[in-house]
Amino acid sequence: MVNVQGPWSPLLGRLSLGAIPNNPIILGAFIFSAVLGVLLVGYVTYADKWGVLWREWFTTVDHKKIGVMYIVIGLVMLFRGFIDALMMRTQQMLADGPHSPGFLGAAHGYLVPYHFDQIYSAHGTIMILFAATPILVGLMNVIVPIQIGARDMAFPYLNAVGLWLTAVGAALIMISLFLGDFSHAGWVGLTPLTELAYSPGVGTDYWMWAIQISSVGTTLGAANLIATIVKMRAPGMTWSKLPIFTWTALSTNIIALTSFPVLAVALGLLGVDRYFGTHFFTAGLGGNLMLYSDLFWIWGHPEVYFVILPAFGMMSEIIPTFAEKALFGYVTMVAASFAIAGVSWSVWLHHFFTMGAGPRVNTFFSIATMVVGIPTGVKVFNWAFTIFRGRSRFETPMMWAIGALFMLLLGGLTGMMLAMPPINYSVHNSVFVVAHFHTMLMVVVYGIMGAVSYWFPKVFGFKLNERLGKRFFWYFTAGTIMVFIPMYTSGFMGMTRRLDYLANPALMPFEVAEEVGIGLYLISIVYFVLQLYVSIRDRVANRVGADAWGTGRTLEWLTPSPVPFYNFALTPRVHARDELVWRREQGLEGAALPGYEDILLPRNTPVPLLIGALALALGFGLVWRIWWLTDVSLLAIVLTVIARSFVQDTDMVVKASEVEKIEQRLRARGAGAASAEGGRGVEILRPSASRP
Amino acid sequence: MIANRMGRLVRYIGSLPLLLLTGCSAHGLSRQFLLFRPDGPLAGTDLRFTELDVAVMMAIILPTAAITAFFLMRYRKTSSTAAYAPHWSHSNLIELIVWAIPLLTVGLLGYYSYRGSYDVNPYDPGLLKTKGLPAAGRGHVLNVDVVTTDWQWLFIYPAQHIALANALVIPKGRTVDFHMTSATVVNDFFIPNLAGMIDIMPGMRTKQELVADKIGTYKGYSANFSGGGFSWMGFATKVVPAAQFKAWVRSAQSAPRHLDYAEFNTFARPTKNVNGKTYVFSHVSAGLFDQVIKGVLQGRVYTTPLPPAGAA
Repeated sequence: MVNVQGPWSPLLGRLSLGAIPNNPIILGAFIFSAVLGVLLVGYVTYADKWGVLWREWFTTVDHKKIGVMYIVIGLVMLFRGFIDALMMRTQQMLADGPHSPGFLGAAHGYLVPYHFDQIYSAHGTIMILFAATPILVGLMNVIVPIQIGARDMAFPYLNAVGLWLTAVGAALIMISLFLGDFSHAGWVGLTPLTELAYSPGVGTDYWMWAIQISSVGTTLGAANLIATIVKMRAPGMTWSKLPIFTWTALSTNIIALTSFPVLAVALGLLGVDRYFGTHFFTAGLGGNLMLYSDLFWIWGHPEVYFVILPAFGMMSEIIPTFAEKALFGYVTMVAASFAIAGVSWSVWLHHFFTMGAGPRVNTFFSIATMVVGIPTGVKVFNWAFTIFRGRSRFETPMMWAIGALFMLLLGGLTGMMLAMPPINYSVHNSVFVVAHFHTMLMVVVYGIMGAVSYWFPKVFGFKLNERLGKRFFWYFTAGTIMVFIPMYTSGFMGMTRRLDYLANPALMPFEVAEEVGIGLYLISIVYFVLQLYVSIRDRVANRVGADAWGTGRTLEWLTPSPVPFYNFALTPRVHARDELVWRREQGLEGAALPGYEDILLPRNTPVPLLIGALALALGFGLVWRIWWLTDVSLLAIVLTVIARSFVQDTDMVVKASEVEKIEQRLRARGAGAASAEGGRGVEILRPSASRP
Repeated sequence: MIANRMGRLVRYIGSLPLLLLTGCSAHGLSRQFLLFRPDGPLAGTDLRFTELDVAVMMAIILPTAAITAFFLMRYRKTSSTAAYAPHWSHSNLIELIVWAIPLLTVGLLGYYSYRGSYDVNPYDPGLLKTKGLPAAGRGHVLNVDVVTTDWQWLFIYPAQHIALANALVIPKGRTVDFHMTSATVVNDFFIPNLAGMIDIMPGMRTKQELVADKIGTYKGYSANFSGGGFSWMGFATKVVPAAQFKAWVRSAQSAPRHLDYAEFNTFARPTKNVNGKTYVFSHVSAGLFDQVIKGVLQGRVYTTPLPPAGAA
């Protein structure tokens, strides 16, 4: 063990009263979170929902509920990441030039450098790993099993473990806001800045363990989804009939399964440096700091495609549905997805062309990077030709998908610029790069927003409000333009990234424009929340049948909405790539089932939640170096996992008669028809076997 | 107290539109686009490749965007005249075209990328060779050793035995060779008008080579985040006529402050150069640059103290 700066005690480690930040902004954030938390707990207690929460959500192994919880975690963290962005933009607007005023103890703006640095590091870490990743994993969790006609994931229990480990990572980041500090070395963890000599506090440890623990969850989830797609497809669903979103889910999870372990090794070695005083990534004594950059980006660049490939898959589902036409070039699309996944392994060095590698190395990675543009370009053309001779309807999901397509064009332009070393040298660490990767991540966000509005009725049984959804889209798009066009522009002015103070006051107009864009984003969020509220309020009027959009193409639109907990009463037989279109044309849509059968399903279990709680204790103990806590929780995790593996009775049977009752209730509701059941529709999601 | 602060904030925000105007007119906004105003062959090459790349990509992207927008307009549900082919989803010709266009584009840009990588190769810029600098011109190369600390710049002129902190003076029209290392964490050497970014790493040596074509003062700064004082890591780069450079060297050689490794270690203590202070050193000990690298390799660190609680 290395000696750390500051006091340490056996009982509390580095933790002391001094760890509570004394800062009005954080106090404000704390009061906001506390009030929100009290309201939430108060509501749940008042409505007597604790039992429901425990039985239906906390202990569930149902892939749909796990997916929804992933998405909820992601949306909450998306909001947190947005607040970070708002604070950064405001700081950069206020701290321009030597004459700009200072507030709250800062020389310029209202954030001292160390605080600003934590905010941008938290923003990046949260947005990539705790917003985009959980939302995408959640969507794949919800949709892939229904799309392939499976009853659940291959390993439902493992699925729940993955969810709670992701939640632990998010929780650690939130705790770091109120107890101690967060990393200041960027979401990438710039070495040797993350070494103990230059980051002596607990911030880097929070960052490291939050990522480390949650990526165990992501890796397990990837193995699970691959197994599910390979082994659990409905009869008749050959590889050439696999829905395109499932294809992208498969390619993306192959990336995840193979790349996340690299990140685990990189962070593990950094951890050994910070806890045992080794020298893997230090500058001296035999360490090699660029080795970390290599390892990090060998994971980091595949991770970029890990988030973008599902977004491509969502666009490939949404566009045919609303263009009322088959996807153009299915085989090409699949090939392109796997080409992107494959090439993603050989481009990582373009994240540091400027490290001074020779032109041979740089040329290789430059051309490899450009090669990614080929399958991506093909995808864009294929979407365009899907729209060609279709009948496009511009409902909210379609708007998001089209928005994503145009974002991809802009991101492709700037990406091809950055791939060229002579251009890269002039904009590598500038805000131009920041604007570029935000444009690409906007493709993901647009895909996600499209997917959420597209599949929401499938999961909950009613559509989201169209009018407010469109407002949300337009304000969000206006915000995107107002933030990132000025950001690209200031990149050409030579503005570098991660600045808490701008020496050049001429950048001010652009910073003001970006702040206006952030304001538009804020308005769009209000519309999103309003949309959710109004849609839930009017849920009875907005109710949908099995095929929510009327032009669904794939298997998930065959089973009732909301999807019952067993997914399909009878496992469907698949005849065509666009199975629902085939059935519609054969006149089979809405045909009565030939009969019902007993269904075997996994039983709920609190063990994943327990493992999550213990992992949180382990992470917290590691951050604060409370060794008794780490020892106890690690031992408890190992024992829990072993004990659980001896449990034989993990399944339950749903009787055919009960399936029949549920199916009849669901089908009787019909699309848009307000039945006597009122707002109790969600209860159908609950297996009666789990009722007390 | 808080009301007073709020008043300041309101007054400040009220003055923003005014600043917007001054930004556009008095300063000349176009002059602020440093990347579009190269005053040296390296930055000029960076810009030329940017223009080329944008032109090629625009030739693809603009028609694609236009076609997509046209398709969306033409084949909308509410249009009664447009053709509708719900099952049409394959065409060998179109597939060929959609693979060929990106393939050819990448082929073309890949070739230029290869050329460009050699042109701006920091170890031996192909560009400066073809510029027709005579072989004897190599003798005229000015060597500058660059050392970054937390969070300052030190420019050592080894042949002249002088050093300049947080500012750089170079002669016009002469090739300048930079050897760069860091005493602490990674930085990035960037003078937008003259040369692109090259990383500066502790325990390692990177190179950059540039020629400045015009006399003037240019902004230089670190482009890679290095900690709390990063935002203040700027250095003015003065390009002066050869004669003036000689005179400056002579005057610097009689500067009162000397610099050896011990003195350097004092200089390298974490310092936020908030006021843009510059220092001149004379009698710089020979091999100081190598000594810094050696020190780092042997484990010397310039530790950052734990930030006060509440800095979070």
